[in-house]
Amino acid sequence: MTGFIIRRLLLAIPTLFGVLIVAFLLLYVAPGDPVMAMVGERADEQTIARLRAELRLDDPLPVQFAHYVIGIAKGDLGRSYITNRPIRNDILERFPKTLQLAGAAMLLATVCGVTLGIFSAKNPGGLIDRIGLGVAYLGISFPVYWVGLLLILLFAVTLHWLPPSGFGGLRYLALPALALGMRSIAFLARMTRSSMLDALGADYVRTARAKGLSERLVVGRHALRNALIPIITVLGLDFGAYLTGSILTETVFSWPGLGRYVVNAIARRDLPAIQGSVLFLSVVFVLVNLITDLAYAKADPRVTYA
Amino acid sequence: MRRSICLLLPSLLLACGGGGDNPHRRTLVDSRDNYDPRSLDPALSTDVPTGRVVGYLFDGLTRFTPDAKVIPALATSWSVSPDGTIYTFHLRRGVTFTDGTPFVARQVAASWRRVLDPKVRGGRGWPLYPILGAKEFADGKGTAIPGIATPNDSTVVVTLKEPFAIFPKLLAMPVAAIAPDNIPASFGEHPVGTGPWKLVEWKHDDYLLFAPNRDYWGGAPKADSLKARIIAEPSTAVAEFQSGNVDVLQVPQGEIRDWEEDAERKKLLASTPSLELVYVAINTTRGPLADVRVRQAINYSIDRPTIVRNLIAGRGELASGVIPSSLPGSDKTRVGYQFDTLRARQLLREAGYPNGIDVELWTSTTPIYVRIAETLQGYLALSGIRAKIVQRESAAAREAARKGQTDLFVKDWYADYPDAENFLFPLLHSANKGVGGNVSFYANPQFDSLVTLARREQDETRRVAMYKQADEIALRDAPMIYLWFYSELTAIQPWIHGFVPPVIFNGQPWTDVTVSTGALTKVAP
Repeated sequence: MTGFIIRRLLLAIPTLFGVLIVAFLLLYVAPGDPVMAMVGERADEQTIARLRAELRLDDPLPVQFAHYVIGIAKGDLGRSYITNRPIRNDILERFPKTLQLAGAAMLLATVCGVTLGIFSAKNPGGLIDRIGLGVAYLGISFPVYWVGLLLILLFAVTLHWLPPSGFGGLRYLALPALALGMRSIAFLARMTRSSMLDALGADYVRTARAKGLSERLVVGRHALRNALIPIITVLGLDFGAYLTGSILTETVFSWPGLGRYVVNAIARRDLPAIQGSVLFLSVVFVLVNLITDLAYAKADPRVTYA
Repeated sequence: MRRSICLLLPSLLLACGGGGDNPHRRTLVDSRDNYDPRSLDPALSTDVPTGRVVGYLFDGLTRFTPDAKVIPALATSWSVSPDGTIYTFHLRRGVTFTDGTPFVARQVAASWRRVLDPKVRGGRGWPLYPILGAKEFADGKGTAIPGIATPNDSTVVVTLKEPFAIFPKLLAMPVAAIAPDNIPASFGEHPVGTGPWKLVEWKHDDYLLFAPNRDYWGGAPKADSLKARIIAEPSTAVAEFQSGNVDVLQVPQGEIRDWEEDAERKKLLASTPSLELVYVAINTTRGPLADVRVRQAINYSIDRPTIVRNLIAGRGELASGVIPSSLPGSDKTRVGYQFDTLRARQLLREAGYPNGIDVELWTSTTPIYVRIAETLQGYLALSGIRAKIVQRESAAAREAARKGQTDLFVKDWYADYPDAENFLFPLLHSANKGVGGNVSFYANPQFDSLVTLARREQDETRRVAMYKQADEIALRDAPMIYLWFYSELTAIQPWIHGFVPPVIFNGQPWTDVTVSTGALTKVAP
């Protein structure tokens, strides 16, 4: 197990290096000059030239890249061109907020989605199954942006139950977590349902029932455990996606997370900020995938990582 | 998607009445900024959110009133030499920074030097370039700025390269604000100024909180605190306003009609004279666009009154020049280009394009500009001008225009200071082609010399006459599609007193603004 983890982490290094190269090259190919974004609406050629020189933007590309990689090897993500703040501080300030939002959304999705899926599977075609289908359709087909605005209008503006936007305690977290988790609730409900249907029809479930186990134990321990693998896959993928940028949700709810940071950085062509965020988010993604793989082994003893 | 929201918004909002509950707070809450300030260091002040906050924390030698007059701030008075090149500023005495350091002349010189210093990477030294030697210093060609002298602690003598009568107006810009002596690396996060407010905390992308500077020379702000919230999505800002959580809202363009037609919400609205020109730069060097008749034909093709009515709910004043009607130099009697498709076709024929022309019409992806571009495309087609819309993300679109790669480019221009020069010079003077702001690449020696002379002219009447004449010349040359001046609509909660929406973005320091609490808990029915 430990060997597996170490191997996976070592494998991540070339992956991340690849990410670095692609992120670096794409930004130089993409139109938009960081200095143009810095100087605002009115400038002059000399100022632009001086700034380019200050930022070493005129160095040959390989030199710039080497410079950047050496910095990263030293643990330095550099300073933002625009704000002059260290990128590392910016990321560390925002990531916990993104993590909080993603975590809440996943918790909501797991509790609601899996429960809905289990009850749907227990009585296919029944009332709960049909409600579950409805929720799934809505969750998958409604754009998060629109759902977010509707939630604000209903719960904040009309009912005054919750604040419309901003960052703070649970009251602030509820609406964005629901908006963000909506799609996962839908996916998980459907995934759990079909996976549970397979499991509930399996021989071992019939055996469990035959030996007189309570329905609770049959569903909860025997069927669900075996239905977990696809659920974990969805959870892992969605969590990774949420951590790496719930841009729309963060924008609608004014949530000061990493997603908005990256978007602002892109809009202003803040190269170090974009590269630093992309690298950081890649690390997060690699880690989430690793944890997902480890969870497979936990859920299904047949999966082993020698 | 956007449309469905627009349809839903009014009905749901109506259901909850006027402006929500007064939250019994004494903090003023602003919602007008939709992205985080770049920094709180005046030297890095290149964007609106930064400039606004710098205005709360710092003072310049002069400042703008909400209605865009320039009044003394850290300078109590100034005199100009007869030839108009030497300004002697007499500084306010007894002013201290919020860390207790006394304000003296030396800091004025040091602050401006910092702005111009390439190492600071501000990128916006131009408001100080009129100072002798400033541009050379910024370009790294000098180690001192000979134009700034501080004979004693309360006097700054500025020598200009050439006479520039409106120079004191430029000193009210955030970038010219005065910082204390020692600037640590973290100054952008922990600023110290002489301004009416002190920074309490800055939660990035969330809010900035300010407390009154009790020792402010102009009298401490009346409210307990001021919070500038950063709300990225305009619809969310509207929801916050409707919930009573924010006090001041910039009404999104797409919702103006809903607000104006709602009797209750209409009472909360305040309008500001417009210093924002919306126009389409015509690159006067590209293909058929080099012919003035073609550019005029383009202008005649557009039915502006209909567009203003339908796209921006009538909140645009038609432009018949680049000078807004609230500024001296605008000619209110001048008639701009009227919608006349036949005239446009005839001009195209005369120019040798009987079968029309093909152009690229560039726009950023900002929804309102895309809509303007699509509308213009339809009108241009009526005169035989086939415009292909090219949409790019705004930084990329702007860069292409600066490099001269766009035929037509939909854009706007906000004034930095209230003077006709701030429109004529950057947008149309040949010295500013490309990155300077003249993305029409317009060059007319007669226009240039008039604007150059006006900049030097000390006599206000003569200067204004030259502005007027230059504006007229450019209008005939049609280096742009003259669209309209957009006037912003601000909503202010009924419990807020004394807030006047500023004409220039940094013209409202909130010092006289108060919140009424207690009695008023609910807005009328």
